[in-house]
Amino acid sequence: MTVGTQSPVAPRDTVIQDEPPGATRSERLSALAQQHGALVTLVIAVLAAWLSFDTFMTTDNMQNMAVSSAFLAVVALGMTFVIVTGGIDLSVGSLFALGGVLAAWGSQYGTAVALLLPLAVCGLIGLVNGLLIARSRLAPFIVTLAALLGARGILLAVTDEGSKTYLVDKDSFFATLGQGKLLGIGAPVWITVGLFVAGAVVLRRTRFGQYVYAVGGNEDAAALMGAPVARTKTAVYTLSGLCAGLAGALNAAWLASGVTILGSGMELEAISAVVIGGTLLSGGFGFLSGSLVGVLLLKVIQNVINQIGSLDSAYQQVVSGGFLAVVVIAQTWLGRRRRVL
Amino acid sequence: MKPNIFLRRTSGRSSGRVPATTLLAVGLVASLALTTGCAKSEDDGADSGDSKSAAEDDAGQVVSSPGAGGKTCGHGDYGAKKLDLKSATVGFSQSEKEANPFRIAETASIKAEAEKRGVKLLTANAQSQFSKQISDVQDLIAKGADLLVIAPLNSDGWEPVLRQAKAKHIPIVTIDRKINAAACKDYVSFIGSDFVEQGRRAADRMIEATGGKGEIAILLGAAGNNVTTDRTKGFQERIEDKAPDLKVVFKQTGEFAREKGQQVTEQLIQSKPGIDGIYAENDEMGLGAVGALKGAGKKAGEVKIVTIDGTKNAVRGIVDGWIDGVIESNPRFGPLAFKTLDTFTKGGEVAQDIVIKDSAYTKDNAKSDLGKAY
Repeated sequence: MTVGTQSPVAPRDTVIQDEPPGATRSERLSALAQQHGALVTLVIAVLAAWLSFDTFMTTDNMQNMAVSSAFLAVVALGMTFVIVTGGIDLSVGSLFALGGVLAAWGSQYGTAVALLLPLAVCGLIGLVNGLLIARSRLAPFIVTLAALLGARGILLAVTDEGSKTYLVDKDSFFATLGQGKLLGIGAPVWITVGLFVAGAVVLRRTRFGQYVYAVGGNEDAAALMGAPVARTKTAVYTLSGLCAGLAGALNAAWLASGVTILGSGMELEAISAVVIGGTLLSGGFGFLSGSLVGVLLLKVIQNVINQIGSLDSAYQQVVSGGFLAVVVIAQTWLGRRRRVL
Repeated sequence: MKPNIFLRRTSGRSSGRVPATTLLAVGLVASLALTTGCAKSEDDGADSGDSKSAAEDDAGQVVSSPGAGGKTCGHGDYGAKKLDLKSATVGFSQSEKEANPFRIAETASIKAEAEKRGVKLLTANAQSQFSKQISDVQDLIAKGADLLVIAPLNSDGWEPVLRQAKAKHIPIVTIDRKINAAACKDYVSFIGSDFVEQGRRAADRMIEATGGKGEIAILLGAAGNNVTTDRTKGFQERIEDKAPDLKVVFKQTGEFAREKGQQVTEQLIQSKPGIDGIYAENDEMGLGAVGALKGAGKKAGEVKIVTIDGTKNAVRGIVDGWIDGVIESNPRFGPLAFKTLDTFTKGGEVAQDIVIKDSAYTKDNAKSDLGKAY
């Protein structure tokens, strides 16, 4: 199932991105490995877990993992665009939490408000991030860090210092977006897959997508060639804000409440997922399918730790940290081989 | 403008930038581990010391109101199957990592009791991440837990878990914090302390220590959770009620952490050098206050300190004369949680709200009862 969501996007990536004329066979293989290193690791991890734990490859477990990955995946989608332009967005965790609270509050006025309010607010904060970064040429790290703090502050202000939790009516249509199922698969999963397909088309097949790569590859060169650098940057941060807000809203629908303590550290999870997926933090290179694989890989690591079922919390952190390190090292090693060849 | 130009450039650049990425990515992994490490925790405190073994000591929990008049719950009402606890698998979801005395003692107590009873126990730890706790409990269910013991990080947001548990008729007992849902419908019982009562008892201690007169300060817990709210409410109500001459002149959050408690107390001593008493809503902040008072050249007993929790270090503070009273918040939920599950799965009735009786430490019993502290 995890592999299935991958297929609509992956083959095209390979063809477009890395086939410089005259590339040797080993170069091509190695390029393929870098792009799909995460996928290979994911498949290995899933197979290993399947063989080790008889409760891993069950319908219940797969469904749980798919639904709970969906929210981080939507955040990682926006993050991929940002990172491909060579930027970073630290505000997504706070925006995710804020989006959830606003959606839960808005749900009393209907589904439209529950969706549009978080999209509007989080999109606006993303837009401001983008304008400050693109027009005022401030460092993305600082601008989005400020937004992280600011959005968390707004959340605390509207929830009476975090103590007020707004609830979502379990029978409303909005709740269905988080809790409903279609063909046995949770609604958030369908929405996420749809967004990734759409996102991949935008990134791969549209002029805007080409600008995103161009800006990340070499900003000055892109500007010289006539790419609208500032507008592209503003757009990706707005998109990232929208994605975080939407993910938060869907999560609130799933939990049936606007939990106020969510999202801290989520920006790092999203960035890790994107990087594990093969997107370069320096910009100019990356693909959405990889980010999806990265999210699933993080999820599988967490699930395997719980499958073991008896690790102390300290060791859980050691294991997940170690696993991540191995994945990233393998990924970079594959990348480095390409340069040596 | 041909897209190809960009693509060629970008792939060329990407291969050249690998070392930078390695550094950044490895840094990210490290910081990911760090964030979870620094996540806000309820009763934060770094030193665990000898508290691990303490859970196996006595001082198990005692129910203060054994269901008399309170609502009860039987497996028929809940829709659960009868089963034998001995052959069942119990899933335990802890909210915060075992890095402070309260959580260490809580987890150890659950594990020890499971072992004693020969029950298969699965554990998960949410590391203060609520999304992770939801996944954790789902994982426990998927892994085959027949019964669940949950120490919830947050009271709301349990819908996905409750729905799954209900579909599989899995009984849930929550410990130390509540889940906002219907007892005996969504979950069986809640076992925990009465935090308002803890605040009241701390106030009584403070009134006795100060003679009911003077100026006192409150070191509040982390903002936005019911433990802080209740401990503040109980304390203030009782002070207003019984000792109107005792004035609360300073209130600031120490976020349940020792360093923050020390920092806040340092400011307090500068702005109110004549302060008579400090109420710290947990031991760690109280110990921070002691540090600040020592630093300011105050003598033991000059400022009366009352705290809540009952950790070893705080009780030792009483023996040393720095702390006047510690109201206990007993984290040893193991015996009571398993007893409740045992009764329930056998077909008996259990109380929906099981409030435990917390003891207290003063000068009179601190030395002799030090072994009971965790």
